[in-house]
Amino acid sequence: MSDFRDGLAEILEVEASELEDGFELGELWDSLAVVSTLALIDEVHDVSVSAEDLAECKTVGDIGKLVDAAVA
Amino acid sequence: MTVEAVLKSGQAAKVQSASIVGLAACVPPRIVGNDHFAEQFGDGVADVTKMTGVLTRRWVDDSTTTADLCVAAAQRVLADLEWDPASVDALIFISQTPDYRLPATAAVMQPRLDLRPGIIAFDVNLGCSAYPYGLWLAMSMVQTGAARRVLLAVGDTSSRVVDPSDRATAMLFGDAGTVTAIEYDEKAEPAYFVLGTDGRGANNLIIPCGASRQLQHEKTPNDQDKLFMDGGEIFTFTLKAVPTLVAETMQVAGKSIDDYDYFLFHQANTFMINHLAKKAKLPGEKVPINIDAFGNTSSATIPLLICDKLAGELSSKPLRLGMFGFGVGYSWGGASVDVGALKSVALLTL
Repeated sequence: MSDFRDGLAEILEVEASELEDGFELGELWDSLAVVSTLALIDEVHDVSVSAEDLAECKTVGDIGKLVDAAVA
Repeated sequence: MTVEAVLKSGQAAKVQSASIVGLAACVPPRIVGNDHFAEQFGDGVADVTKMTGVLTRRWVDDSTTTADLCVAAAQRVLADLEWDPASVDALIFISQTPDYRLPATAAVMQPRLDLRPGIIAFDVNLGCSAYPYGLWLAMSMVQTGAARRVLLAVGDTSSRVVDPSDRATAMLFGDAGTVTAIEYDEKAEPAYFVLGTDGRGANNLIIPCGASRQLQHEKTPNDQDKLFMDGGEIFTFTLKAVPTLVAETMQVAGKSIDDYDYFLFHQANTFMINHLAKKAKLPGEKVPINIDAFGNTSSATIPLLICDKLAGELSSKPLRLGMFGFGVGYSWGGASVDVGALKSVALLTL
């Protein structure tokens, strides 16, 4: 998960240590961040998730759940 | 070779007895830099640029069409090859920005190029996948004896159909027209193709209005007569479709990565191309990119890339090229073609 968290931190331009499950994506979560995260999930986990579902995530924990469901 | 296995990517084809003998790309003279968008999008310009990699693009003026760019490219190819226009048997125009809803733009271009009455001429409506589809179609026409010489015109002037207020598309696209000359050659190395479609993605890259359906698109707040793109959905499609397309195109051709000189990807956006190349384990030096200078020129990206980046090599030696177009439709195509040495390969400004 750490590769993923580091990648997500880079995309959101925040420190990886800030990205607890409860981290609110808020305005950082624009269409470019979503697309970058699609690629990151593909790279780290070799699965693809729905762009629409990903865009609807509100917190880092939501992203984690989406990825877990796709990997399972 | 017969392709017996059912591919995940699409339909496979092998075409013989046809060669690419020349090509030219024509771009408009107006260079539009990212500063053009600063007032409209502010800091958004830098964010989008980081993803797309587009630094400049060429845009036509209001009186120039895709056909104008393609006519200039065709004239250059005909001159370089010393082909008598009367010796051309077919003209195919592939674009999503034709001159008219009817007639076919190929018909309008025919007399402009002094091509003789009676030839085959028609349009095909494809964008990002246009070049692999077009080569397959043109080469198949030659193989079946329908034509000995074909001009394949492929291009778009997307600047005319984007919504200037839509951050997702306003800065991404550029304009270009290209023409590829294909000729009967009994000694030609076979060309291999994998071609597919999944129209379930049609709504994710679309101009909803302007033709017959007049769709009121739910997802776009934009002008319904302008281009709508759902970048996330397109990216998801690409991640699923393209790595398999690359692998299966090489499989159908019976070749591996080392057998190719270059892998030419539709210049969709820099981030995507780099991701796809990495995922397919292609060496970076074999994956040229020129979207930085020309933007995403839709159907024209692959032949424009050849004219821009490979002209020197191709004028002196043959290259084995893998080509991959993917996007609007969804439609995708892979091609494995041996090209060169070419007597005609040029990038010109209108």
